[in-house]
Amino acid sequence: MEWSVTRHSSIAFNYIKYRSVIAIHRSLDSGVTNAKRTPDFLLAAGALAVLGAIVRAIWFTPIEARQGAAQKIFYVHVPSAFIALYVAFALLAVSSALYLWLRDVRLDRMAESAAEVGLVFISVTLVTGPLWGKPIWGTWWTWDARLTSTLFLWFLVLGYLLLRASHEDHATRARYSAVLGLLTAILIPFIHLTVYLFRTLHPQPIVLKPSAPSLPPEMLTTLLVSLAAYLVLFVGLLRARYRYATERDALPGGTGPA
Amino acid sequence: MTPDTSGYAVAAYVAAVLIYGGYVVALWRRRQALARRPAPHPAGPRAVRDDS
Repeated sequence: MEWSVTRHSSIAFNYIKYRSVIAIHRSLDSGVTNAKRTPDFLLAAGALAVLGAIVRAIWFTPIEARQGAAQKIFYVHVPSAFIALYVAFALLAVSSALYLWLRDVRLDRMAESAAEVGLVFISVTLVTGPLWGKPIWGTWWTWDARLTSTLFLWFLVLGYLLLRASHEDHATRARYSAVLGLLTAILIPFIHLTVYLFRTLHPQPIVLKPSAPSLPPEMLTTLLVSLAAYLVLFVGLLRARYRYATERDALPGGTGPA
Repeated sequence: MTPDTSGYAVAAYVAAVLIYGGYVVALWRRRQALARRPAPHPAGPRAVRDDS
């Protein structure tokens, strides 16, 4: 009985692993093969969507009564932060974990691409935040838990990219950076909870919370439009960055085709 | 009375456009630089024999 149970579990595990590998390979292959055939329509669509979201935020969304026009920074600050933390760095963690399991070079490229594009998004968050904080809080920066942990995350991801650049051996580089990528993601739930755990100047979430969003419907619509637009931009940038990594690795001295 | 804080909003949007736009340009330039490098071996780098 022991034998049959163990054998059955092993077959089930191998089947799940096999199906997962096939699904991952298909998704990674579709991104590259399609990208090679077509220009970056997705990136252009993302840029146009973001432009549309900016126009909507500036000209077609009411001005908040107490903060004035500075509140409109919300529509670029929040989507950038949301996508960096919950999409880009989550993807970095998942790709890193899967790389450590499957050792597929394409997962390493996906982690590298997600980290770099995520760094761009979190940089926008860190630049727009102080520009919003100055007129509302009266200071550009404060060392509270939310701001400090986000800055720490920025340095961690920068360190991740520097680690990648410092290793010649591809396998070692991929393994070390996968571990660091996975560890970086541990900070994300902590950053989310900082506004609840500590007394911070940064406000608590007004949309991503258990109760209903506490902002007028016009503002909520603009936020959701912006979120969708920045998500398209993120996918476009990620695809372009992944495509670059694939082309680079195909050159002599690269990791070679997967 | 609603304060005039439009300067901060404009600065934030300009900064965001510059960062995102700058990254798109940087990525495009990196791909252009890659295209100028020698073409890969048709069978891939791992398949090339090293007799040195």
